Amino acid sequence: MSVLEVTDLSIRFGGLQALAGLTLTVNEFEIVGLIGPNGAGKTTAFNCITGFYTADTGSVVYRGRDVTRTPPHKKAAMGFGRTFQNVGMVKSSTVLDNLKTAQHARVRYDAGAGLLGGSRVTAEERALEQKSDAILELLGLTEVRDLRVGGLSYGTLKLLELGCALATEPDILLLDEPSSGMGPEESHQLGERLLDLRKAFGLTMLLIEHHVPLVLSVCDHVYVLNFGQLLAEGEPTVIQTHPEVVAAYLGGEAPEALAQTHETAEDEALDDQLAHKPAVKKAPAKKAPAKKTASRAKKDPS
Amino acid sequence: MSVALLGHAATTAVPLAFDTQLKIGQPLILGIVQGAIYGLIGLGLVLLYKSNRIFNFAQAEFGTIAGLCTLLALNGRLFGISWHMPYAVAAVVGVLIGTLTAVATERLVIRPLFNRPKVILVVGTVGVLLTLIAIESLAFPQGDTLPAFNDPKQGAVTDLKDPSFRVGFAGYNVSWAQVLTLIVLVALALGAVAFFRYSRQGTAILAVSQEPTAAQAVGISVSRVSLLTWTLAGFLGSVAGLLALQSTLVGPGIVTGTALVGGITAAVLGGITSLPGAFLGGMLVGLIQTFAAANVDFRGSQSVVVGLVLLLVLLVKPTGLLGSEA
Amino acid sequence: MTRAGITARGGAYLVLGIVLFLPWFTTDFAKFCSLGAIYAMMGLSLNIVVGYTGQLSLGHQGFLGLGALVTANVVAQADLPSYVGIALGVLASAAVAIVLGLVALRITGLYLSLITLVFGSAIATSLFALPSLTNNNSGVQLVRPPYFSGNGDWYLVCVVVLLAVYYLDYRLTASKTGRALLAIKENERVAEAFGIGVTSYKLLAFALSGAIAGLAGGLYAFRSEIYSDKDFQDPQGFALALLFVVLCVVGGLGNRLGVVVAGVFFGILNDLLDRLFGIGWVKDVVENIPLLKGYYGANKGSLASLIGSLLLLQTLLFNPGGIGGQLRPLSRWMTGNRFELHEAAESGPAAVEGSSVRA
Repeated sequence: MSVLEVTDLSIRFGGLQALAGLTLTVNEFEIVGLIGPNGAGKTTAFNCITGFYTADTGSVVYRGRDVTRTPPHKKAAMGFGRTFQNVGMVKSSTVLDNLKTAQHARVRYDAGAGLLGGSRVTAEERALEQKSDAILELLGLTEVRDLRVGGLSYGTLKLLELGCALATEPDILLLDEPSSGMGPEESHQLGERLLDLRKAFGLTMLLIEHHVPLVLSVCDHVYVLNFGQLLAEGEPTVIQTHPEVVAAYLGGEAPEALAQTHETAEDEALDDQLAHKPAVKKAPAKKAPAKKTASRAKKDPS
Repeated sequence: MSVALLGHAATTAVPLAFDTQLKIGQPLILGIVQGAIYGLIGLGLVLLYKSNRIFNFAQAEFGTIAGLCTLLALNGRLFGISWHMPYAVAAVVGVLIGTLTAVATERLVIRPLFNRPKVILVVGTVGVLLTLIAIESLAFPQGDTLPAFNDPKQGAVTDLKDPSFRVGFAGYNVSWAQVLTLIVLVALALGAVAFFRYSRQGTAILAVSQEPTAAQAVGISVSRVSLLTWTLAGFLGSVAGLLALQSTLVGPGIVTGTALVGGITAAVLGGITSLPGAFLGGMLVGLIQTFAAANVDFRGSQSVVVGLVLLLVLLVKPTGLLGSEA
Repeated sequence: MTRAGITARGGAYLVLGIVLFLPWFTTDFAKFCSLGAIYAMMGLSLNIVVGYTGQLSLGHQGFLGLGALVTANVVAQADLPSYVGIALGVLASAAVAIVLGLVALRITGLYLSLITLVFGSAIATSLFALPSLTNNNSGVQLVRPPYFSGNGDWYLVCVVVLLAVYYLDYRLTASKTGRALLAIKENERVAEAFGIGVTSYKLLAFALSGAIAGLAGGLYAFRSEIYSDKDFQDPQGFALALLFVVLCVVGGLGNRLGVVVAGVFFGILNDLLDRLFGIGWVKDVVENIPLLKGYYGANKGSLASLIGSLLLLQTLLFNPGGIGGQLRPLSRWMTGNRFELHEAAESGPAAVEGSSVRA
């Protein structure tokens, strides 16, 4: 049985059809990639799957259970671990506290018991700390344990965020551009790490990624989105030369074009808009992102 | 005539509980005058919020300062010298000192906290409010009654020497103080609109409120604009206070106590960034309050009804009546 | 920790205990000290809303008054035991706070502050002033429970309750609830991704804050031995609401020790000033100082209020950590760490303020 089955997922924001009938399947122990030009709806798809947005139509089924309308914090408790495009962590806390916060759904005392205290709570808190330390050691980040998150470098943050996602004890991990801000060498290491983590924790993963070598080296299956629609799917090597994919990225070899796209603030603005915080000054340019990418690719045919 | 019609319409709409007793006319007049004062306070709040996202809890207190200083100027005594100024001069002195208080607030408290989280700035204005009230009660322990502007004993500014003189209107009485309040409000409202539409400074304030960085890039000094907005806000608060305090016992914190919540509600109902919205909101709050006080028979009905209306508006339309953002 | 270190700290706690016990020997002063303890509880209560959830409440006197109202009426009019009265006061305040919390789910920031402001004055003018609940506006008299009838005795009750609330607040920050609230305050989406139910934790925070304020209200009613709505009507009510904000900020946002110290300070400040300015030669001097001489004129509380507001501005401008930040080396030493005047600067409460308190 597949771990995650998304069927005919659609969502519309005002005049923008952000997702139109997305269907995808993630099988046990698979690493599935979700790629596409900017504004294609990848992050929107993540937000629908993890429950931050409620899709207009379609369904999300997790291990046989319909979780289309399950709120995000319940999904996290069920085993959905996710990272955010622009690092989702509690910036004013220390690294250790972030890892402890991430284990929230796994804590074995309730809020009332926590307020009263007692040996059971103390023991559980110590267990949380030990697990956090274990994750830090696994990621080789023990030396930042007691530092405040706000002051760390972007690359460290991306890695730490992965650690936080692991701390939620996920069954399926949804990673939004895990390699952003990393150089080629670092992202190669990240690929190795993801494969190791899959083996160590028996994880299933769905990742949005722009770094093509990483997609090629870790993904078992790739879905390509464009203007909210599924353009193609298949094995990474097939996708690489798929004519429609190449066309979507306008000329040149698809991989090169892929390599040049970078997620911009557009998806974020869309996020904000949906969270009832009107992004007053930067209304999302509706179709511009995809075009921008295209023209960038055209101008620089390396 | 129109008032009577209104009353008729309302009685048919609410046939049960209040039909015979629903009081319309007098609350309408009182409400408009009260609303004018809320509108002026709200205007100052909107101005500051618009220009720098600051919410100023001391706004109404500039009015108390103006009132107390007018009193002091009318009949003052310091170091054995006593004086009696004509009302018009005293009022100018009062408004001037009220405005200067706002300028001092900007220089001493707001400017140094400019880059801190907004809640800190809000708490800063709370600190200013408390400081002003404390100084007032130390300096004016007794308080005094501010005479009406046309009180004959004070060298009245007009020929309307009788303070109790009222003009008749649809069978209800309106005092000259109420007429003056309305005239000043309308004048200030038109002035504010003209200022923002036609003057260089007004446009600069709008520019800073919309794009601080870009405004700086084209050479608008954000700090000068901030000083200007605080001066204007202090002026509006002082005038509103003076109007509100006609024939009233002036004591520490009086305008804050009577008009701050109304002014804030006016600003929020109007949409916090809209100047016309603040007038409209002020009128609305004034009318709701006086109608509730006259027609809903339990203690505190004024503030409860205003609170409920506010809550409803924020829940249903968070951007207020005329606002463009939450 | 060395043996000497343990002894020194033990001695420090002993001295602290003795100092806390001293007001028991007094009568009038003990009454002010119990007010200090009650203010400290109000500070902790408001601190949960301001410091932990990042929302500014300007109507916390409403919860204090509600606790006092319910306790006084249950004890004096329904003739139930005092602990039942206090418990019901706590429940009532918590329930109303949850309603306010429900509003806070939809409305945040400045607008929420405004709603709390209106709430405080609306509940005072309507509910608190009902003739049936105020003994026809003459105030509800109530008698302290036996064994605690003296001012000093009631002071000790207040201190013990304060210590319990302090412990509760410590547990809040040390358990998953505190981490959840911080995450929610900073970024609700991240909190949800970590499996934190934003709604329930926000409501829990408001409920706790309301419960503590209601508890303080019950103690307040017994302290004055009468419930009267006058204390909570504007402008006194508004002044009280602002005082709680002042003591939270002066104590240091999010810093429980600082907030408690500030609460006690503002509770006894009036009495201290009264004693100081009552001394003959001080009076002779002060009566010749222009502004200060107003102290003898009318409202004596205005000098305390001036000191409070100047302290507030001073804290904002020059000392963002508040009293708690100043006391931090000491409090760290008392809890078994080394005494360092300049510890790693990044864990101070200034950082808490700098994070994302919204308004």
